[in-house]
Amino acid sequence: MNQADVTKLMSQLRIAVRPNKRNLKNPDGPEGRLLKLRKTVTALMKHERIELFYNRADEARGYAELLISNAIRYGDRHKATMELADYWLLEKQLVHKLFKVLVPRYENHNLSYTRMYKAPRDYPGTYYRQSVLELRGNPYPTLDTDHSQNRNLLHNVLLDEARKEFRRQKLSDLVKSSQ
Amino acid sequence: MNLTARVVVNRLAQQCAYKRIVTFSTKPAEHAVPAQDEPKNVEVPPAAPTQTPAVPPTTPRKPIIPANYRFVYPEFLPDPKVEWRNSIREKLERLDMLERRKQIDLPEFYVGSVLAVTSSDPHAAGKTSRFVGICINRDRCGLRARFVLRNVIDHQGMEVVYELYDPTIQKVEVLRLEKRLDDSLFYLRDALPEYSTFDENMEAEPLEEGAPVPVNDIKVVLRPRPWLERWERQNLRGVANIDQYLKDKHRLSSARVQKPWEKYDMMKHYRSTIAEEEQTEIFAEVHTELHTLELQRKRNKRKRTFLKPKHLA
Repeated sequence: MNQADVTKLMSQLRIAVRPNKRNLKNPDGPEGRLLKLRKTVTALMKHERIELFYNRADEARGYAELLISNAIRYGDRHKATMELADYWLLEKQLVHKLFKVLVPRYENHNLSYTRMYKAPRDYPGTYYRQSVLELRGNPYPTLDTDHSQNRNLLHNVLLDEARKEFRRQKLSDLVKSSQ
Repeated sequence: MNLTARVVVNRLAQQCAYKRIVTFSTKPAEHAVPAQDEPKNVEVPPAAPTQTPAVPPTTPRKPIIPANYRFVYPEFLPDPKVEWRNSIREKLERLDMLERRKQIDLPEFYVGSVLAVTSSDPHAAGKTSRFVGICINRDRCGLRARFVLRNVIDHQGMEVVYELYDPTIQKVEVLRLEKRLDDSLFYLRDALPEYSTFDENMEAEPLEEGAPVPVNDIKVVLRPRPWLERWERQNLRGVANIDQYLKDKHRLSSARVQKPWEKYDMMKHYRSTIAEEEQTEIFAEVHTELHTLELQRKRNKRKRTFLKPKHLA
């Protein structure tokens, strides 16, 4: 039984957080793991949508979320947050982007700041699962498939039937009126 | 930060929530509801036949929970380890803790405060024993919360581990309310005995009401090696003379085990803490009763000081 560490306040994340971290096999140990994740977080902030291995994306996602949530919570006048941004963003112009673009974008947001998709694994490619990690509100076309036109979905089946019935009704009315 | 505005938006968004994000946390993901400002593909016809009834705007109440509650009552926050979380058990434990606090006055104290604990002891002369000492550590949470008191008695270092909610504890007095520079003071075991020697008949030192808890920046002097722990690796702020006992090999090995990147590891910290929203929820649940107990304690203290003049003529 441990006591919760209360020195620093953190916002609740809006994503599923694993109970334990993944070690992300690295010869340099935990420091090398963080360097790997820093590269990923930097790329995510820069390109807003990246495709990578699932494990690494899932690990980096939490850091990206916390970085943005800290930036929103404390703003750019807070020294510790600035240090954090300086550490996590390897390209320094992205620090400006974080505070001037992403913070206004997510300030009144109720969802998670990032979104993750499972991506297909190309055959006979590598063993590892692929994924796509993106910032919400990015300028690219959406990755969600549009199911609204799928004929087999129940509401579309019902609509089709309703339409058919409507047409039948109209036809019979026409026949009646012509007689 | 416009926290109130966000709370309002959350409340509104909850009413049209259609999706929940499942998290490992045991708390309901009340923030995981779709945003209002998400661009909707489906256009609503202008003359919608059914008008949703206007919901009266529920203004969120101002947070009345003091910001220092998480330091004063850290044991009310559950264990951050997700596998061990159980919201029902935690709730029941909090109720039991409040029940116990109604029976006995458990005052605010920190690591570094000097306490006197009176507890039942079947082997003691009057069936009770009183131990005065400095609190060198606080750990565990919920009903199992405990603290360690240390004192030097007859040139012999003594430490007693008390569980805060142990029913055999009869009285907890805070003789000197202060903090130290470090989170735990186990290095007092290797310090000179005068740093952990406290008079058994010490008088309680009153602190001004509403004043912040003072931080005692005393630096203790360590004994020469051998030590119980490798203190040079722990970046202690409350130790004065550690350098005089270090050789180069100690400095090298201590530099090798330092982890300067850990302060940037936000997820590590996130997993070892309870998120702010959850803390607020928990303290909102127990705040009323804790506040009543605090007021009661203040009243009793005033009464006691009035009834018992210290110096009789």
